[in-house]
Amino acid sequence: MKNLQVGDELVPISKLITMKQILMYADASGDYNPIHIDEEFAKNSQFGKNIGHGMMVAATISELMVRNFADAWYKTGKMKMRFKSPVYPEDKIQTSGSIKKSENVETGTQITCSVQIVRQDGDTIISGETSVTLQNP
Amino acid sequence: MAVDYSLLETGSKVSDQKYTLTHEEVDLYLHAVQDDSERHLDSSGTELAPPMALAALSLRGVVIDLQIPGGTLHVGQEMEFKDAVRVGENLRCIASLASNNIRGDWRFMVVNLSVLRSSGDQVMEGKSTIMLPAENKIE
Repeated sequence: MKNLQVGDELVPISKLITMKQILMYADASGDYNPIHIDEEFAKNSQFGKNIGHGMMVAATISELMVRNFADAWYKTGKMKMRFKSPVYPEDKIQTSGSIKKSENVETGTQITCSVQIVRQDGDTIISGETSVTLQNP
Repeated sequence: MAVDYSLLETGSKVSDQKYTLTHEEVDLYLHAVQDDSERHLDSSGTELAPPMALAALSLRGVVIDLQIPGGTLHVGQEMEFKDAVRVGENLRCIASLASNNIRGDWRFMVVNLSVLRSSGDQVMEGKSTIMLPAENKIE
């Protein structure tokens, strides 16, 4: 892990959302809401088509944090997010973040990041804040 | 049994489920979220469960026990991971209702989530905000 400073960008992650992935996530999570998996139901919804699970997309934020902060995320990670817009099959998303704050706390250095997921048209799907505490050497 | 959401009171427990995350379930989860990052191990070499797999698990009981209807939307989520969890650990996921209000055509419910390991130590806590079609009453 390199020495991160306020203003630094986290290494972003890009993914293509597919219907196959959404169906797999339904099996993995046990969330079979028809808005995600039933084409006919989704056609008659306000979205007009299936949408991906918010938590499936949000998992990329956790992946971003693990890739940048390793084990510390497992033990001290905090995340607060808003699902602002749906993600559809065949959307390309990019998950990115930057360091907003670094402060000394009792157990080490707490790093706070601003994070977001946007799709190919620039719309924000999820925005939020994460934090992780790194033990001082 | 039908769930009448209007009768659910703030503070009431809405789900209490026990799970064990297996290697197969973690593999399926990581495949579904397209996460091919390095798997993390504890000091004994046992694989650690991805934190968001725990979060997904904590919501599973809510979806099942509250009979969350089709068309329900997840609008907000908070999580705090308090310790790493090994794949294969026995976990208890508890959910309680933090608020329950109607706004327009939607019912907004905030659910507090807690995941405990078998020792009783909390490994994750969180808060989910969901909106359900307001008239919904499942038979």
